[in-house]
Amino acid sequence: MTAAITVDARLPVRRRPVLVIAGAAFLALVVLAAAFAPLLAPYAPDAVDLSASLVGTGGDHPLGTDASGQDLLSRVLYGARTSLIAPLALLAIAALLGVTLGTVAAWRGGWVDTLVSRVTDVMYAFPGLLFVVLIIAVFGAGITTSVLGLGLAFAPTIAKYTRSVALTERAKPYVDAYRVQGMGGVRICVRHLVPNLARSIVGYLVVLFGEALMSLATLSYLGFGSQPPSSDWGLMVQEGQAAIVQGALLPALVPGTAIAAVVVAFNVVGVWAADRLGARR
Amino acid sequence: MKLRNITAAGALALATACSGATTGASTSGTEAADLTLIPTTARATGSVAAVNWLLEDEPDSLDLDTQGGSAGRTVLGNVCERLYQLQPDMSVRPSLVRQAARPDATHLVLTLRDDVTFHDGSRMTADDVLFSLKRHAEPEMEQSDEFGNVSAMRKTGDHEITITFKQPDALFTKALAGDAGLVYNREQVEKAGEDFGTPGQSDACSGPYELSGWKSGDSITLTRADDYWGEQPLTGKVVFRWADDSAMVNALATGAADGTYADNIGTAAALRGKKGLDEHFGPSTSTLALIPTERGGLADPDIRKALSLALDRSGIAKSGYGGLVEPWATPVGSGAWGYAKDAFAAAQKQLTDAPAKPDAQDLAKAKELVKNAKKAPAEPIVIGTDSSQGRMVIANAVRAALTQIGLKGQIKTVPAAQYGEFYGDKEARADIDVLVADWYISKSDPFGFYDNGLSDSANNWVGFKSPEYDAKVAEGLRTLDDAKRAELAIDVQRRFADAAVWIPVAQMPTALVLDDKLTGPPASMAYLYYPWAAQLGAKKG
Repeated sequence: MTAAITVDARLPVRRRPVLVIAGAAFLALVVLAAAFAPLLAPYAPDAVDLSASLVGTGGDHPLGTDASGQDLLSRVLYGARTSLIAPLALLAIAALLGVTLGTVAAWRGGWVDTLVSRVTDVMYAFPGLLFVVLIIAVFGAGITTSVLGLGLAFAPTIAKYTRSVALTERAKPYVDAYRVQGMGGVRICVRHLVPNLARSIVGYLVVLFGEALMSLATLSYLGFGSQPPSSDWGLMVQEGQAAIVQGALLPALVPGTAIAAVVVAFNVVGVWAADRLGARR
Repeated sequence: MKLRNITAAGALALATACSGATTGASTSGTEAADLTLIPTTARATGSVAAVNWLLEDEPDSLDLDTQGGSAGRTVLGNVCERLYQLQPDMSVRPSLVRQAARPDATHLVLTLRDDVTFHDGSRMTADDVLFSLKRHAEPEMEQSDEFGNVSAMRKTGDHEITITFKQPDALFTKALAGDAGLVYNREQVEKAGEDFGTPGQSDACSGPYELSGWKSGDSITLTRADDYWGEQPLTGKVVFRWADDSAMVNALATGAADGTYADNIGTAAALRGKKGLDEHFGPSTSTLALIPTERGGLADPDIRKALSLALDRSGIAKSGYGGLVEPWATPVGSGAWGYAKDAFAAAQKQLTDAPAKPDAQDLAKAKELVKNAKKAPAEPIVIGTDSSQGRMVIANAVRAALTQIGLKGQIKTVPAAQYGEFYGDKEARADIDVLVADWYISKSDPFGFYDNGLSDSANNWVGFKSPEYDAKVAEGLRTLDDAKRAELAIDVQRRFADAAVWIPVAQMPTALVLDDKLTGPPASMAYLYYPWAAQLGAKKG
């Protein structure tokens, strides 16, 4: 554990922090907006007002409304909850599976490593979204199925990464020292090896967050994820796109911009964090 | 990974910002009351060398016996002719039939025209007509149900066909103005065999245009038939291409296409007021409706009536369809009024359980109905739809209406490709209580719709049962006299509305979008069965 920290501390900061600070500040704002959506949103996110369909920006509706007269500001604020929590849940599932598989493969080696590596190779070769669509075809559409499916789809990526860093970690002297003391493999992995990998894995997960958010938004956009009247941003883009030909940009532009901004911010912060935490090698 | 994410996110925002939009975020819909439905456009006086016409999609086949669909009908209405012809005002009159007689209620004698020639130059004969009718009646063909009452079809003269019915059939001649009345050149159809209607085959028809090319995936071209037996069209060539909604809007707005009959009324809404284009709206049988399903959330007629009373139809028309649909109290549009128009219009006004905009009284009545309902739903009512804008607005309006009357609604969407399964597959709609639907009938007679409420109808999903209703429908379908049949239709219509078997939302007109230098074709739904391009030409000669 100590060795890893020493190496990471010597890494140069490769990026001017202005963008990172801006990105982190923006993400903090988004998290606050999501947390306090009920206080900040002027309307309920699913409140329908057919007399205010596709109105532009103005006092009653600062970001306008969609075709059903639903307030876009309220929807995008509430939508931040789904759009932040769902990728977190997805990555938690993927990390649980991926870290377990990657650690077992690296620790046991031999046929176990070969088997895990080939299985993850096969899954890695299969398009993730297509895999999830197949799962949805069996279990039905919805945000829960999407999160579970994408969690499975992301797991091989994390497993491969974990295996690679765990192989390096396993070769370090402290692991042999614990073995000499008679400590079992499971205990070494759970109490020492995985905690020592945590910084790298967390850095990697932060980078993956943007991709997870985009994948979930894509599924909702395609009608496989969140269902109406949810204010999931991907679903909002889908619902708003028909209004574009009627000259109303905001119903698609507002959630589209929210997705783009959060993904970019997560990438900027994530890449910086990954550098600092030694996740990028 | 970073680059991929940023690129994808940026592309999403860029696509969102740039997809065909030209103005800011404010549109205003037309009030439905402003919309005037006209059967046809002004007569054209000048000739046109060629027009580019848009379809929503490429026809699967140009054999309407095996693949019916509006794209194929839009093309073939100009190429193939029918025994009867649906007129722009939605009435029906003889076409390839010179004269029709009913010696008694179960016999129809058709005397055929003797001056009709097919595009290969051969004369239309009674054998061709009999062959065509028998082909349409084959069990696997799309129109076979129109021949359910027919017991025999015989050639009884050189130019005469006699049709014998098991019982009087009031709708049969109307069916003969549809795909059941298409007349094909027997020799050509038999020569083409299973390839008939596919790219590379000739058309085997007698209409004002002949099929001169079908490049699969690209275009269909019709050329004026020089030896046409009737009046020569003003337009020499019609080239059909297909485009999705946004491409259609762009093509029409930029002049890349000259016109379309917009299947999606949203296309017409997007082109409202665009320079260089005229829009015409005509009567259609199409409606938007809510169809309660077998699942049972709307099994109680009082709950269905309550929902109907609380539904904001005006809001739906304006928000979901740019004001181009009209709040409507019956499940069939005014295009079905092929006769007794005044009687049907007056009867429509008597139906008060489907208000355009519910007032306090309607809402109070709706709440009372829910309060006293025998089978009030314990779980949220599941509303099935796809995610198209109009249907989503209806689904949201239904959810809002249910909330207003103390019930809960939940929306279930499926991808557009899967949406069609709701109509034909009971399993597909097993998880929904009500379907946001659109529906049209091919015949200009309300009885073409009301058989959907029969106890044993496949489209009576909610299980409405009424022996009196069944008897009235059966009587109406046997009644050949228009005035008497109209009375029966109005009675049946009232019973259907009282039981709220379906919940009507709005009638959807036919939308014709046309270059402003062109005129002539019908604006009504007749275009599906009528040689509309033969009327198309320049405004000035």
